[in-house]
Amino acid sequence: MKLLVISQSRNRAGRTVQVRKEVTADWIRVGRHAASEVLLADPRIALSQGLIVDRNGPVYTEGEMGTTTSTTRKAVRSVRLAPGKAIDVGPYRIAGVAAPAGYTGAITVELVRPAEESAPAFLERARRVTLASLGLPKRGLALALFALVAVAFFLLPAGRVLDLPWRAPPGAAMASDRFWNPGPVMLAHQPVGEKCEACHELAFTRVRDVACLECHARIGHHLGPEAKPAALFAGSRCAACHRDHKGVKSTHRDDDRFCVECHRDVRSLANGAQSQDAADFAKSHPAFRLTLPADKGVRRVRQGAAPVQESSNLVFSHAVHLDPAGVRHPEKDKVKLGCEACHHPDASRRGFEPVTMARHCQDCHRLEFEPAVTARQVPHGRPAEAMTVVAEFYANLALNGVRDSFEKAFGVPGEGLLRRPGEPGEAARRATLAMAAKKAAHVSEEIFEIRLCRTCHEIQRSDGDRGTEWNVAQVRLGHAWMPGARFDHASHAQSRCSSCHDVSKSKRSADVAMPAIEGCRECHGGAQLVAGKVTSNCLLCHGFHDPRHPWDPQFKPKSATRVAGGAPGAR
Amino acid sequence: MLEYARFRWFKVALALAVAAGIAYLWHDPPLKPYGGTAMGYALGTVGALLIAWLAWFGVRKRRYASRTGTVQGWLSGHVYLGTALLVVATLHTGFELGWNVHTAAYVLMVATVASGFYGVFVYLSVPGLLTANRGDETLEAMLLKVADLDREIRDKALSLPDDILREVNASLDGSRLGGSFGRIVTGRDRACPTAAALARVPELGRRLSGEAATANHEVYTLLLQKSELLARARRDLRYKAKLDLWLYVHVPLAVALLAALAAHVLSVFLYW
Repeated sequence: MKLLVISQSRNRAGRTVQVRKEVTADWIRVGRHAASEVLLADPRIALSQGLIVDRNGPVYTEGEMGTTTSTTRKAVRSVRLAPGKAIDVGPYRIAGVAAPAGYTGAITVELVRPAEESAPAFLERARRVTLASLGLPKRGLALALFALVAVAFFLLPAGRVLDLPWRAPPGAAMASDRFWNPGPVMLAHQPVGEKCEACHELAFTRVRDVACLECHARIGHHLGPEAKPAALFAGSRCAACHRDHKGVKSTHRDDDRFCVECHRDVRSLANGAQSQDAADFAKSHPAFRLTLPADKGVRRVRQGAAPVQESSNLVFSHAVHLDPAGVRHPEKDKVKLGCEACHHPDASRRGFEPVTMARHCQDCHRLEFEPAVTARQVPHGRPAEAMTVVAEFYANLALNGVRDSFEKAFGVPGEGLLRRPGEPGEAARRATLAMAAKKAAHVSEEIFEIRLCRTCHEIQRSDGDRGTEWNVAQVRLGHAWMPGARFDHASHAQSRCSSCHDVSKSKRSADVAMPAIEGCRECHGGAQLVAGKVTSNCLLCHGFHDPRHPWDPQFKPKSATRVAGGAPGAR
Repeated sequence: MLEYARFRWFKVALALAVAAGIAYLWHDPPLKPYGGTAMGYALGTVGALLIAWLAWFGVRKRRYASRTGTVQGWLSGHVYLGTALLVVATLHTGFELGWNVHTAAYVLMVATVASGFYGVFVYLSVPGLLTANRGDETLEAMLLKVADLDREIRDKALSLPDDILREVNASLDGSRLGGSFGRIVTGRDRACPTAAALARVPELGRRLSGEAATANHEVYTLLLQKSELLARARRDLRYKAKLDLWLYVHVPLAVALLAALAAHVLSVFLYW
């Protein structure tokens, strides 16, 4: 088909201008698309609006070939463009005109409703079609949020520490820097928990040890001054181990890492270290060291292959006292003793009260020196006084004693001198007192050397100018065998005493019945969890801070009010 | 966006997240995991740098002359590294959260990333719908067509009775597009006079006959076309608004996050 397409338009003067174009094709495309043979360049026209086909003359057809976007896509329009016949295609008018010779047909195409002539009313009401056109303040909102966050979370809280003009006066309630608190401080720190400056004294400076010492002035160092702890721990801070804001229970972690860092090879760090290397209770821990009383102070003895011996200067056999058949008692027939007969838990129930003669022994071991006559006992612990008591007793008995007692004590017939009728003569008096003194000396010797003291004590006799004297060796009972260890008997109360302290065969007081590490390891594992064992790290039994050695002997707290009041700039 | 350069940024982000996870598991903190350990500082630094880089995207996408990569690549990196940031920052917290500036920064970060996820979903789903709805027309074409229809309706309706003409004129004088947040975002106009006219004109025209009935039918057909066009145009507005709207959340949150991040970092070191 060969079609003459006459594009008509009007120039400014109002004259019709025609542009002729010859198109030869089987189908002539009409549309907005640039490849269209009949180009209708207007946004209101579809890309492929329609086709002109040859059916014995040009026929405009629309909607048949799948112009899906046409608003009239449901309608099928087919119009023969006979001369004089005109159709509206969107804003265009296409009209058939008489075909010149050689052409299948001819059409004119004219834009009859230019876009700018369309009714403006609707377009006016369709101007604000995007969110941006509504004036929604994306940037403004962003800046407002930025400012809000910056003010509430930084500028206000920073007032105190940066000394900004709106800093709250000392003691005022405004503590907006609590927004900076990363977590609750531990319970003991809660009195100062809201006063950040109590610890965070200086801006951009890590918490200094002096802030800790302000309250913990008496905290012990790890080592005594002889080990020069300041040099040993140079560069270390309290906060190396203690981190607050990490829970209300504790500021340190209960594991072995910090300890093992040094104690794995402790002598490489501290030449004079007396402790041996330790890394784990189960696998790498030396034998226990026991603290024993010595002539002066204490001595520490490590448990080893040979049993540790103490020298308490006592004569004592656990085996005898714990005889399953029982032991003799002055009044009862026989009594069976258990550990609890002598070892009473102390008030804390962690340890035991010291064993004393008066409370634990004397019920059986009575210090009666003349039981046939009297229940009186010599005082314990004071030999000279005991001798005086004995001498006075027999002197009195010789002077005032009734016949029965007199005869039983002295073994001769008679009664006290002053009970006899008549005034006693000088000779009788002398004889009586000499008898009493002789008896007293005899009894003293007997109670010191045979009957009473000797039962338990080492006795030394000395015959000097002032007569015979007995010296009882100083008793040195070990009580705190492992004073540095944290051991709680109450938490081990489910075990029998003998499972750790087996004394049933011990016949001598020199035997030390402290358990060896192997005994503990039966129940206690190391830092690693092992089935059937109590996971036990260093801090279960040991502490870091030795209360005997102050951390910083030179440190003097400034004043209590600084922490309580938190006045800025007070330091 | 997601498959850019054969998932290059996905691989980078995955490597970063996995590395952070392994480091976190490997690290043995002095007390418990938190932002102030050596690993915490490391993860925090990476996180802060990531946030700064992600925020820079807002600048980079406007620098049309920039030659550092393509905006498409930047967007791909923005999406994947933003996701990795979620992992890095979460590990940086050591799962230690509270009512404080530090958690505020974290929550803002999570909210920003979450809004970004929604943005990815929108960018993946809406453009297809938008194109399908538009066909080969632009919004401008639709508007001009409606204006044309208006003119045609006005001509044809002149011969109709007053009550019908009133309805038709209400459509001509009152139909609008957009203009309010609700109408743009929902893509509906509950008070659309064209819809009202469509509902009432057949009823009112039932009594007509002859030429008047034909004219009425023509007007009704045109109204129907107009209504259809309006609906498409409104869908178009809605889709475009959907593409924009999440940014009204994402961008302010991101900017607030920058402030919170600065406050977080400064406060931590002020009270070291």
